[in-house]
Amino acid sequence: MTGDDAWRPRLAARARLKFDPIAGQEMLLFPEAALALNETGAAIVRLCDGARSIDEIVDQLSKKFSNNDRNALTREVSDFLDTIRARGLLQ
Amino acid sequence: MSAAPRPYTLVAELTYRCPLRCLYCSNPVDFHRSRDELSTSEWQRVFSEAAELGVMQLHLSGGEPVLRDDLAELIRHARSCDLYINLITGGTLLDEDKLRRFREVGLDHIQLSIQGAARESAETIAGVRSHEKKLEVARLIGKIGFPLTLNVVIHRLNIAEVPELIRIALELGANRLELANTQFYAWAAENRRALMPTREQYDRAEEIAREAIAKYRGTLEIAFVQNDYLTGEPKPCMGGWGRSYMCINPAGEVMPCHAAAVIPGLYFESVRDGALGKIWRDSPAMNAFRGDDWMIEPCRSCARKEIDFGGCRCQAFMLAGNAAEADPICRLSPHHGIVESMRNDFRDGDSLIYRDTKTSRRLTRGTAESQKL
Repeated sequence: MTGDDAWRPRLAARARLKFDPIAGQEMLLFPEAALALNETGAAIVRLCDGARSIDEIVDQLSKKFSNNDRNALTREVSDFLDTIRARGLLQ
Repeated sequence: MSAAPRPYTLVAELTYRCPLRCLYCSNPVDFHRSRDELSTSEWQRVFSEAAELGVMQLHLSGGEPVLRDDLAELIRHARSCDLYINLITGGTLLDEDKLRRFREVGLDHIQLSIQGAARESAETIAGVRSHEKKLEVARLIGKIGFPLTLNVVIHRLNIAEVPELIRIALELGANRLELANTQFYAWAAENRRALMPTREQYDRAEEIAREAIAKYRGTLEIAFVQNDYLTGEPKPCMGGWGRSYMCINPAGEVMPCHAAAVIPGLYFESVRDGALGKIWRDSPAMNAFRGDDWMIEPCRSCARKEIDFGGCRCQAFMLAGNAAEADPICRLSPHHGIVESMRNDFRDGDSLIYRDTKTSRRLTRGTAESQKL
């Protein structure tokens, strides 16, 4: 689980975000596969710079998407980060 | 535009030349006939056209791709097309200068092969002195900060080393370890009796791998690529013929996978003769086994036909004599008995056939130059 206040997630060196002009969506590329991301997923990945905590990522996103339901947004960020962390895409 | 599927992955076999002589090499047994590698500008054109078609992942493979003097130029161009670039290498020709240069021009990732955990077994498989140099290069890759996948082809001669291979991958700081059980094509098919593990060896290795996969999740990703002879499960080969994956060999011939040239009657058009998009979409070879119109029973009415696509077309040809048959790996294939007998057909002390130009000539002497036509 992501429940770690000190964690500053950073995208793993082997993963790269790329916009797919054909499908019109952001893709997270790594050597053996790719994940198609929605707008929120792509925004989260861009904020995983190794400097921000989960709380700070949620702050940024709630401004960007004018989202007032902080608990729901925190859950969404945590679930997403758990998913890509389990695939070794975060450090 | 017709409704041809979109390719996502391109494997570019830049050369068949290689300093290693691995017993399991996947290059065609008749590789010595391949001449006139694509030039720098021809490959650059191919990468641009591939990116326009929708390709996202580029694997630079071989042979040994580092033998190409223009590798840095090719990487630079591929990166300018915004491709994700993986270099698949044996590593023996790499040094710190080359690695730094490849990093500068935009290489994303390196997949390095080792042949075993101990020098003696590894070099019996590779056929040349190489193991220590590979470990040295693996450390350099880590030092420079490239993400690293360590790939080990697994077979009877090294399958007992799986625990040690996992330890080496952890020690080297690899992100991913591929324990890739041998797929029996090309040179590996020539050496099948020496390379086929016993049932007991295979099951033990799989159990160890499964435990390690759970134990190191999030730190070291471990992939255990199965031996389909022993599992009896047909591979969904390339995710379907001509569906998302293309391979281009050193002479520019566009294929659904690197092994497909073994199937007679298919003519693979070269990028020298036309645009990549047109070849991908329209060439008879790329359409030969697309979709499921080509299927016969038991595949045609099978509930799994969209899952495994009838297995591997090359294996169907190699084992059943007809590329449109069900892959004999499948228990429903009328030819499945061949696989059952091969499963138990292993022998120590058979002479080992090493991949090199001289042996390539010897093994294909007397066969037609125009075999592929």
